[in-house]
Amino acid sequence: MSLNTLAQALISGALLGCFYTLMALGFSMILGVTRALNLAHGDLIILGGYLGYWLWSGSGLHPLFLVPVGAAALLPLGLLCQWLFQRLPEPKELSSLVLTFGLSLLLQNLMLALWRGEYRLIASESLAGSIHLGSLGLNPGRLIVAAAALAVVGALYLGLTRTRWGRAVRATSLDREAAALLGINVDEATRTTCLLALALSGGAGVLFATLHYLYPGGGIDLTLLAIVLTIWAGVGRLRSVLVAGILLGVLETLTVAWSGPRWRELVLALVLLISLLARSGGLALGRSH
Amino acid sequence: MPRGEWIGVGLVGAALLLLPPLSGFHPYYLYLVSTALLFGTVATSWNLLAYAGQISFGHAAFFGLGGYGAALASLAGFSPWLAIGVGGLVGAGGAAGIGLASARLRGAYLALATLAYAEVWRGIAHNWTEVSGGGAGLIGIPPLPPVGWLPLDFTRGRAGGYYLSLAFLIVILAVFAGILRSRLGLAFAAVREEEERASLLGVHPLPWKILAFALSGFFTALAGGLYVHMVRVAEPDLMFSRYFSLLPLVMATFGGLYTLLGPAIAALGLYLVSELLLHPLAPAFHQLPYALALIVVALYLPGGLAGLLRKKKHHGTA
Amino acid sequence: MALLEGRGLSMTFGGIFALRAVDIAVEEHQVVGLLGPNGSGKTTLFNILSGLLRPTAGEAWFGGARVTKLSPWEISRLGIARTFQIARPFARSTVFDNVLVGVTFRSRHRYRRSLDRRRETEHLLGMVGLAEKASAHADALSLGERKRLELAMALSTRPSLLLLDELASGLSPKGREEVVRFYARLKELGLTIFAIEHSFRVLARVADRLLVLDQGALVAEGRPEQVLGSTRVVEAYLGEEE
Repeated sequence: MSLNTLAQALISGALLGCFYTLMALGFSMILGVTRALNLAHGDLIILGGYLGYWLWSGSGLHPLFLVPVGAAALLPLGLLCQWLFQRLPEPKELSSLVLTFGLSLLLQNLMLALWRGEYRLIASESLAGSIHLGSLGLNPGRLIVAAAALAVVGALYLGLTRTRWGRAVRATSLDREAAALLGINVDEATRTTCLLALALSGGAGVLFATLHYLYPGGGIDLTLLAIVLTIWAGVGRLRSVLVAGILLGVLETLTVAWSGPRWRELVLALVLLISLLARSGGLALGRSH
Repeated sequence: MPRGEWIGVGLVGAALLLLPPLSGFHPYYLYLVSTALLFGTVATSWNLLAYAGQISFGHAAFFGLGGYGAALASLAGFSPWLAIGVGGLVGAGGAAGIGLASARLRGAYLALATLAYAEVWRGIAHNWTEVSGGGAGLIGIPPLPPVGWLPLDFTRGRAGGYYLSLAFLIVILAVFAGILRSRLGLAFAAVREEEERASLLGVHPLPWKILAFALSGFFTALAGGLYVHMVRVAEPDLMFSRYFSLLPLVMATFGGLYTLLGPAIAALGLYLVSELLLHPLAPAFHQLPYALALIVVALYLPGGLAGLLRKKKHHGTA
Repeated sequence: MALLEGRGLSMTFGGIFALRAVDIAVEEHQVVGLLGPNGSGKTTLFNILSGLLRPTAGEAWFGGARVTKLSPWEISRLGIARTFQIARPFARSTVFDNVLVGVTFRSRHRYRRSLDRRRETEHLLGMVGLAEKASAHADALSLGERKRLELAMALSTRPSLLLLDELASGLSPKGREEVVRFYARLKELGLTIFAIEHSFRVLARVADRLLVLDQGALVAEGRPEQVLGSTRVVEAYLGEEE
């Protein structure tokens, strides 16, 4: 592998990684406040993507304007998620897997019925092509998405550390009962977090659809990704999730550069399996940041 | 089991035995009920593993391993009947492997590991083209040949597959029933309820967990092996589909976790209802009942329908 | 060497020193009591001796064999059994099955016939007074019954050493009398006992020796009269009389 290819892979990987971080945030946030593992996470993102695609193909608006629309569209599902996850019997981690396994199938069938199985892409010209920096080629779409990801992570970080809301959310994630005893409105913190998580996923879905083909079964990939990043970084640790995301992104681009794109899914599944087997404990809850 | 239940089982069993000749060996119905019976076997195997305390979200791995194992053996010249057995052993091995590797994992994390395991095998089947045929898979798998010494009608065409799938279900039910009464069942239950306590009583949990995985994987793989001989192809996205991980989970939990007949009954019921009633009416949504059943189970019925009935009985007599 | 011996056993959790270099020795056929206020490390010590925890330092021997790093099932097979202060039976199994597990899977004195195993299980249940409750579910038992089940489960593996965790606490004076009688009975059966109790009155009557822990360290040991007579120990380290 030439130095140039390596550099290209590293930079693309970092950009991809920022994007992955954005994809994973919703999963981690919901896990933190509800202890629910959402296997339908990826499918929700894809749903956001489909909604964005539908609006784009109907209105011709630039995809970036559709991002907040995607976010708004999925927002009400945040309430549904909160309602469902709070009703789960113990142990929540396992029962949430069962529930969301079903939800995932439900969503996939819904999307299949509405948009059929063809691959869709928000192919906006402004986001295609390549910007050249020296001998490296960078896709503007990826740059914008990475920038958006960093902006979101930054805003979230500030929100979680500097605001009352953020402190409430962190306390609820750490120890719900103790937080409630301290007078924190844990239900509200949970609600706002779920809403935010779904909005993030909706918006991220639209961005996803500008870079990747949409198909109803495409969610599992994103879900596995979110789980890997959450295992690597721990729950609620924003900066760690970013680092983990970039690491995973680079790992992927290096794999693709070395052996081609076919192995992507297999490598991701293997990474997840090994990450799980290497841990004897569970996902470390607490210490949000 | 109370007398009434035995009679019910007997009637259903007789009906299933006589279905082929009574329906004039109609291929479509035989295929339909065969598939339902296969799911009954897979659901019961899943339940067996759950009885030992291991909740699997990746049974598609064993189903697919059995399918590909049988397909490869069959294409290599083995008699399909034997090839299915080979597939079963491959599945058992794959299951024992993940059972061993994930021994320290519990609950949700074990479930995720099994999910990831199935995805790994799906990826391998996609990419190891020389062996698995890649994305296109393996084709031209021979059907089950008639068995010489039995009446021709009963083993040729769809009938052979039908009786084999019925046999698999009967065998696994018998095995499960035997386990429930034996030392194995005692060990499984102890490991399931309180693994640490069992260990303190001299039970080494690991071999029992691996055995549970191997048994569950074996029967699931047998079902997979038969399945490929019915559909005559083995594709990675089909054989390792999450659908085959989800269905046994729904059927077993809906029908009654840890009960003997619950999963099989739920499998037959859910599958036949969804295929006969819902598929013709709304084909795009034929997977919907499973998804809904799973959601209901997660929220309201952790013990499944049979658990619900059991509770009613307790309250009645207590 | 004593039947059970521990040297320098220490346990740290994060920054907390649960046990600090504790030495213990339990001679065969003795009843040794373990006292100390809550949080003094008694249960941690038991967890180490039964294989549920690995000490951060120190070693333990049983019958001459090193047991420090063994798994619970290996230690059980060597002949150590324990009870839990808060009973941990197999909740959804029957009382009978709870005891049957140990009888079935122990490595010494194994029965090949299922009938013999069932007979011994019935015998053990009779010994602890749970014969009529054999087909009840474990989670339906009262507190006193659960403690008896714990004892029966511990005995089901035919151990030579019993680690008893607060058998007498939470019981009425009448219940405590029964426990004292039980200690004598167990001793008659040839068992060696290492027992945590909160009530020093009970231990004073049954124990040959006492060990006192405070904040993870061994602060006193000797005959009951010696230990309990020491005013320093009485004031500072013994738990309230129940």
